[in-house]
Amino acid sequence: MLTIKHLNFNYPKSRSVLKSINMNFEAGNIYGLFGKNGEGKSTLLKIMTGLLFPKNGSCLLDGYEMGKREVQSLQHIFLVPEDFELPSISIQSFEKVQSCFYPQFSQKQFYELVKEFQLSPTDNISKLSFGQKKKVLIAFGIATNTKLLLMDEPTNGLDIPSKSQFRKVMASVVDENKCVVISTHQVRDLHSLINHVMILDNAQVAFDQPLHKVSDGLWFGKPSSNDPTELIYSESSFGGKAIVPRLDKNETEVDLELLFNGVLSAPDTINAIMNQTQHDERV
Amino acid sequence: MKEFSLSRIGQFIRRDITIHKSTFVTGLLVGIVLIFLFCIFNMMWDKQLSTDEFFGIFGLIYIPMGVLFTFSIFKEFNDAKTNQLYLSIPLSIPERLASKWFTSTIIYTLVYSILAIITGILALLFGIVIFDADFNVPSLFSIEYWNVLKVYFLVQPLFLVGAISFRKNRIGKTLLFLGILVLGFTFFNFFLFGIFNHNHGLFSGETLVSEAFDKTTADFSGLGRWFYGLLLGPLMLIVAYFKMKEKEV
Repeated sequence: MLTIKHLNFNYPKSRSVLKSINMNFEAGNIYGLFGKNGEGKSTLLKIMTGLLFPKNGSCLLDGYEMGKREVQSLQHIFLVPEDFELPSISIQSFEKVQSCFYPQFSQKQFYELVKEFQLSPTDNISKLSFGQKKKVLIAFGIATNTKLLLMDEPTNGLDIPSKSQFRKVMASVVDENKCVVISTHQVRDLHSLINHVMILDNAQVAFDQPLHKVSDGLWFGKPSSNDPTELIYSESSFGGKAIVPRLDKNETEVDLELLFNGVLSAPDTINAIMNQTQHDERV
Repeated sequence: MKEFSLSRIGQFIRRDITIHKSTFVTGLLVGIVLIFLFCIFNMMWDKQLSTDEFFGIFGLIYIPMGVLFTFSIFKEFNDAKTNQLYLSIPLSIPERLASKWFTSTIIYTLVYSILAIITGILALLFGIVIFDADFNVPSLFSIEYWNVLKVYFLVQPLFLVGAISFRKNRIGKTLLFLGILVLGFTFFNFFLFGIFNHNHGLFSGETLVSEAFDKTTADFSGLGRWFYGLLLGPLMLIVAYFKMKEKEV
């Protein structure tokens, strides 16, 4: 669906934000794009939407260069930015003037989501809190039914009940024709939502694996003291939780936060195990 | 997929008008009040409001208001909090440009002209009752009206480029740019005038130099009129197109 090849980007007079990035986003998946602050997650989403132009390389959505901002490509992508301002009109008016540009927009779905988020169509957007505005935009983004839905830190500004509400809504909307990319540094917020992990570190892709392969190759938990398996990464703050090669152990749920920290601390070891697991599966 | 659709342009114009409705209405109300007051003040002296005087007042408000309106509808283009959503709307650059231009010139001119004429007539009726002024209905078919429109349609694309290009102090920077441009063209005209007319002895005496300068602004050749009147506006719209194309958030 969306393919990024050898992409480089830097802001004027500053260091490289993205270096030789290669990524492929396929329909039917919810991708979690993780990285520390300033690692280029938002920049990457903006490039994917055609809002920034790569210095080298390409970003193609079904063969269309995103940087050209053609109607054909923009109709299939929607970005929920991290920081935004919506016009000072009612939710209803916003839907009326904005939805006509998206051919697959579902008015029914939009108003159902607005209701789900406990908002009223007659509410004036300017009088809503930032979190509520974010809900309006998330509802709108989902209702556009674009092939690709990008969300930059969607849970920022949402309260705790709204975060679980967000996860519930997101889990219900994805289908085999849709691809969702959620960028965040709050790894826990995407627990049990994503099925593919991408981690950016040092301006490069440090990790890019589907979640089922992660659980095939790695074991997350508190290893017993007589376990001979070599620790890949462990953290005392997680109650002694560690990442070890799974080998013949039972499958565990992927601990996203532990995986993220593990990848940042031992990327080569983790990627080598993942490659080995894939190789073994093929054999 | 068509990259230029009249239907999408129409929808985008509707979007702009809905979003900027309050700015539009406030600006028009201010314009109406000012026209009314200026018309009344004008009638206080000579008990009449000629077509020339009315369209002088009209232009005095219509052009600056139009410029402000142009900057206002491009606000979300340069605002870091709004331009991500704005630029990701599925619309091609020619469609974006066409809709913004149409809103800030044709629609603005139509609405403003009709309201200005109604206000002018009301001010005249008021003047007749209070000052016993002459009744002279301003007409949209008068040459004075079209001259004001010509000036606006000529300078508006330049302000449109300014509204797109500058992030901060947009009006000031555009005015500065316009000042430099006018100065540049004046010198350009002066040199052309000097080159083509030097054998008439224009530069032999000191007073003639200032006379030549006057003529460069007053004597508009057919070629100059064509260049400024027909080429500058579209040229600025082409510049605006490329500025929009290269715009990043």
